[in-house]
Amino acid sequence: MKIEIVDYKGMKVISPAGEIDMHSSPILRKEIMAFVGQRITPLVVDLKEVTYIDSSGIATFVEGLKGAMSYGGKLKLLGLAPQIREIFSFSKLDKVFEIHSSADDIIQG
Amino acid sequence: MKADTAIEVRNLVTHYGDRAILKDISFSIPKGKTTVILGGSGCGKSTLLKHLIGLLKPTSGNIFINDRDIALMDETALNDMRKKIGILFQGAALLNSLTIAENVALPIREHTKLEKSTVDIMVRMKLDLVNLSGFEHFYPAQLSGGMKKRAGIARAMALDPEILYFDEPSAGLDPVTAAGLDELIIKLRDVFRMTIVVVTHELPSVFMIADHVIMLDAGNVLFSGPLAELTASDHPKIRRFLERKAEEESENPEDYLKIIAGE
Repeated sequence: MKIEIVDYKGMKVISPAGEIDMHSSPILRKEIMAFVGQRITPLVVDLKEVTYIDSSGIATFVEGLKGAMSYGGKLKLLGLAPQIREIFSFSKLDKVFEIHSSADDIIQG
Repeated sequence: MKADTAIEVRNLVTHYGDRAILKDISFSIPKGKTTVILGGSGCGKSTLLKHLIGLLKPTSGNIFINDRDIALMDETALNDMRKKIGILFQGAALLNSLTIAENVALPIREHTKLEKSTVDIMVRMKLDLVNLSGFEHFYPAQLSGGMKKRAGIARAMALDPEILYFDEPSAGLDPVTAAGLDELIIKLRDVFRMTIVVVTHELPSVFMIADHVIMLDAGNVLFSGPLAELTASDHPKIRRFLERKAEEESENPEDYLKIIAGE
């Protein structure tokens, strides 16, 4: 997995690419928790380049959301492929996270 | 191996001492489906399961998982392979001195470098999946038989396995609890598209969960194919099994006399 921090119209977006699994999710966690440490909101993660996510990846997002909520922040996800969205939906996490179709969608709020 | 095959067994032969248990059997297990290994007591199904998870080495033959022959693997390679599989043992095999949450966390702590905070969330997710939220701090002895099995499934799911094996999941459970477990197996297949292999002789369970069936008889593959083909089969042994009829007497009186007279 590779991670880039992309600046999209003034909004910082965490963009992982590849597989988020038990080996790579600690790297993602480090980036997300760094955003949390800076009390950034919304904390945006673009998953369009993500091909697979396991339970450690989902747990990492839950941790990020918990951290963001501690300062009234939000964690927003975008670009979920159908099979990844299905996992979020099955875990009932589609109701916990804000899921958007595009970064513009988030900006327009 | 074909892309839609999860496990391929070729010409598997195994013995306990001089006695042949599996007699040159070959079959494939499809990816993302539930395959039931079916057969009467003593047909070799538990022995086969032990080979599929690398606990026993065959006398000869191959077992391919992800194009690698596990029959040829050393213990290190087998341990790597086992991280990608989950097993629900007959008695659930939970560690009695650990809470349910600690049991589920154990394989994650052993095999990953994830933070404790991440592991704790994963454990709660796995327990919620098997409807055991709120039982994190219970010990196995404080759970019913059905709950123990579900906790065993949560632990088997800990490392997000590609293949999940169930050894007689309904054994010792009442019919309602057993049906609940079957529903959970279906849910796991549908949502995670996991390859599920269930060893059982419980017919109601077979009809509920099986996409594919491998039926063993005295160490041979009697049938391998979709459930609908099994139920339509007119093979006498399959019909007897499905209609729960006893085996016919195989010995004539002279043979019987020889056996009991010790000749």
